[in-house]
Amino acid sequence: MLKTETFTLNMGPQHPSTHGVLQVVLELDGETVVQAIPNMGYLHRGIEKLAESRTYAQFIPYTDRLDYVSSMGNNLGYCQTVEKMMDIKVPERAEYLRIIMTELNRIASHLIFMGSLAIDLGASTGMMFGFRSRERILDLFDMVCGARQTYTYIRFGGVSADIPSEFIPALERFLTDFPAMLDEYHRLLTGNEILYHRLKNTGVISAQRAVEIGLTGPALRASGVDYDIRKVEPYGIYDRFDFSVPLGQVGDCWDRYTIRMEEMKQSAGIVAQALSQMPEGTVMASVPKVVKPPAGEVYHSIENPRGELGYYIVSNGGTNPYRLHVRRPSFINLQVLNEACQGLLIGDVVAILATLDSLMGEVDC
Amino acid sequence: MQEITGLFKIAEILRAILGRFLSDPQLVDICMSLINIGSIFTIISLTAVVLVYAERKVSAFMQRRSGPNRVGPGGTLQTVADMVKLMAKEDIMPAGADKWMWMLAPILLFIPAAAVFVVFPFDNKAIFADLNIGVFYFIAMSSQSVLPFLMAGWASNNKYSLVGGMRTVAQMLSYEVPMVLSILGIVMLAGSMRMSTIVAAQQHTWFILLQPIAFVVYVITATAEINRAPFDLVEGESEIVAGPFTEYTGMRWALFFLAEYANLLAVSVIATTLFLGGWNGPWLPGWVWFFLKVGGMVFLFMWFRWTFPRLRIDQLMSFGWKVLLPLALLNIIVTGIGMYIYEFFS
Amino acid sequence: MVGKGLLEGMRVTLKAFFSKKETLQYPEIKLTMPERFRGGELELDNQKCIACGLCARACPNHVIELTTGTDEQKKRHLTSYIYHSGLCLYCNYCIEACPTNAICWDKNYENARFFKDELDVDCLAIAKQKSATIVDAAPADQPNAEQEDALNKEGER
Ligand code: SF4
Ligand code: SF4
Repeated sequence: MLKTETFTLNMGPQHPSTHGVLQVVLELDGETVVQAIPNMGYLHRGIEKLAESRTYAQFIPYTDRLDYVSSMGNNLGYCQTVEKMMDIKVPERAEYLRIIMTELNRIASHLIFMGSLAIDLGASTGMMFGFRSRERILDLFDMVCGARQTYTYIRFGGVSADIPSEFIPALERFLTDFPAMLDEYHRLLTGNEILYHRLKNTGVISAQRAVEIGLTGPALRASGVDYDIRKVEPYGIYDRFDFSVPLGQVGDCWDRYTIRMEEMKQSAGIVAQALSQMPEGTVMASVPKVVKPPAGEVYHSIENPRGELGYYIVSNGGTNPYRLHVRRPSFINLQVLNEACQGLLIGDVVAILATLDSLMGEVDC
Repeated sequence: MQEITGLFKIAEILRAILGRFLSDPQLVDICMSLINIGSIFTIISLTAVVLVYAERKVSAFMQRRSGPNRVGPGGTLQTVADMVKLMAKEDIMPAGADKWMWMLAPILLFIPAAAVFVVFPFDNKAIFADLNIGVFYFIAMSSQSVLPFLMAGWASNNKYSLVGGMRTVAQMLSYEVPMVLSILGIVMLAGSMRMSTIVAAQQHTWFILLQPIAFVVYVITATAEINRAPFDLVEGESEIVAGPFTEYTGMRWALFFLAEYANLLAVSVIATTLFLGGWNGPWLPGWVWFFLKVGGMVFLFMWFRWTFPRLRIDQLMSFGWKVLLPLALLNIIVTGIGMYIYEFFS
Repeated sequence: MVGKGLLEGMRVTLKAFFSKKETLQYPEIKLTMPERFRGGELELDNQKCIACGLCARACPNHVIELTTGTDEQKKRHLTSYIYHSGLCLYCNYCIEACPTNAICWDKNYENARFFKDELDVDCLAIAKQKSATIVDAAPADQPNAEQEDALNKEGER
């Protein structure tokens, strides 16, 4: 009698396409995935615990290191949470700058998504193109705050510095070039039949399941659930902008991909609107030197490129947070991996991992 | 007989020189064979070095980078430097590997890759052995490369390698069939499996014009045969790290690499010979035409690799069996009917 | 038509093949870092430093270790100033906290070191060495308005 049995393949933590140090324990029946259990914690730095021994302001640089390809969003979420606790009013110009920066960061983050998806599917040119365009955005950030990845730009009560004079022309140049870049990616990747067949109908997550698990961001909207915090509970000044939230129908990898591509276009639109409306003025409200929020607790969430990034802070009235918890979208989105992968092939695991777009820095907080 | 040109002339001169020193004509023949073998190996290793450099440059240019540009003028010696580095590397054998099989695999892979060069017509008469079953010999030899892949995959005692090895078998076997069938159309037209006859038959019309479908099928299957993107599932680095090569280091790994590029050259040469008229071409000498066409084909394969994403294994299989195979069969039928009609009218 | 997307993709890469390359030939050509670039090591101006310790207090990661002493005129001065660059988050807090603009980035981004202890920079020793060689060094940057006020007040006191 011929007997077959499944075998275990440890994909990661040293593997070319697990985006950092994720280990996926695959149980395989030939090439078919029986189970895909993500094994996390290789990048755990105890950031939540670190917060308890830092002052409120000192924790901002650490938020950069959560989702390190969209640090502006991390800064923004944290600062808005503390501002909410302390009732700080942010000057208009700073609000606009925050929008411009976070939306640019969303584009940068989605470009990384696109690039890493491309290389995971074997099209390395797509990656190079994506990273090349992202450099343009990083140059802009570098100009504004002096860092390319860990910005610490958004602070309590505003932003750390006003934009330099050369920023606006450079941004305008980027905005005029961006549609052509996007078009190039669409021609290189989106139109490609192989890519379409790789992504279409793989890793389908139903809307109901997505909600049950708590997926957020593009991964949720791909399943057709219209939930974007920028629209549902507009934070900052998002209610002033005109943009649409792309939705998918099936919840497969293809939808997750196309939604992000469309989001980039929308983000560019928001940046352009913000740029034209931005008033002159100060960029920093007067904030007490020592930040001491009143005792109590607060939760605030924003729409980061990967989903709902929430900060939950408990204050006992001291200078350090009593407890700080971060709701990390990457971590929660990754939980769907096993379900999405079952019955598919090894190649699909890679595609699903890439389209869930979990970032290990955020998963392992 | 055609006039003596190009590479064959060089061979004749060499033969004459040798004849002066060696009295026995048989000795001269043996010497000439050795020279031929030597030149084939030189061509293989040289082209591998050149092709690796070309691949890096092409990939860089397609990604708007500038590629290797440090070692030697324009980075041309980069591959040489890499070879030296590979040779100096420690040879690590995985624990629990099947020792002999593991060590033999890269060598066995290299042998068929080199052996197919025997039947390549580089120029008029410049062919090591003009077998009357040249095409068949090429197919037979190139399908040998399945086995070393499987050996490497099995012997490495590594699951990635094993999955890679299994993929090779599935992929190569299923792409062999449409490839053979696509070549069959050419053989029907030329009425011979002898390389030189096939080339000679294309003096006026290249077979790519008569057999465009066969050409497309051939290019696709050839890409799959040599495991290049978009069919590089065997080593698909984002899925199974490096497939059968995962556990190889240093020179052993370099042999795989060398064989890969020798195979790339081989399928390009075959495409040139069967579809693009071999050494035929106006003005320039035959071997220049030959290498130009081969270069064009190599560029095409590289172009594919740096543009397309990879297929999935099930898509690969169904594409091979459900699309390419019927297409190749259809091509044969159409060719047959066409030939019959052509003969009927003339 | 099937294959149209593939051909379109090939057109994109072919265009890239013939277009201008973006690579910067790094060691020969270097990018100029923007004005606000945060990176490299801290550069201390010991003439300006009033040894207030605010920089070390602002630092989230205890990167700056300084000790102070008082001289004959009861004026505080630095006795040591160590910057552990391996721990630095490059957040700029120290520089923003300094009332006299005594520290700034040296903007050198080639920070690889062979040994771990080379990451600890003795900024005071470097500063002293520098002021010994360049006797009449002009101040590199002017304190901004707010900090100037603070300075004046300090002086009045
Ligand atoms: S940049 Fe930040 S982490 Fe580094 S020394 Fe200054 S305050 Fe400390
Ligand atoms: S904050 Fe400035 S003045 Fe105060 S100790 Fe630090 S470097 Fe010196």
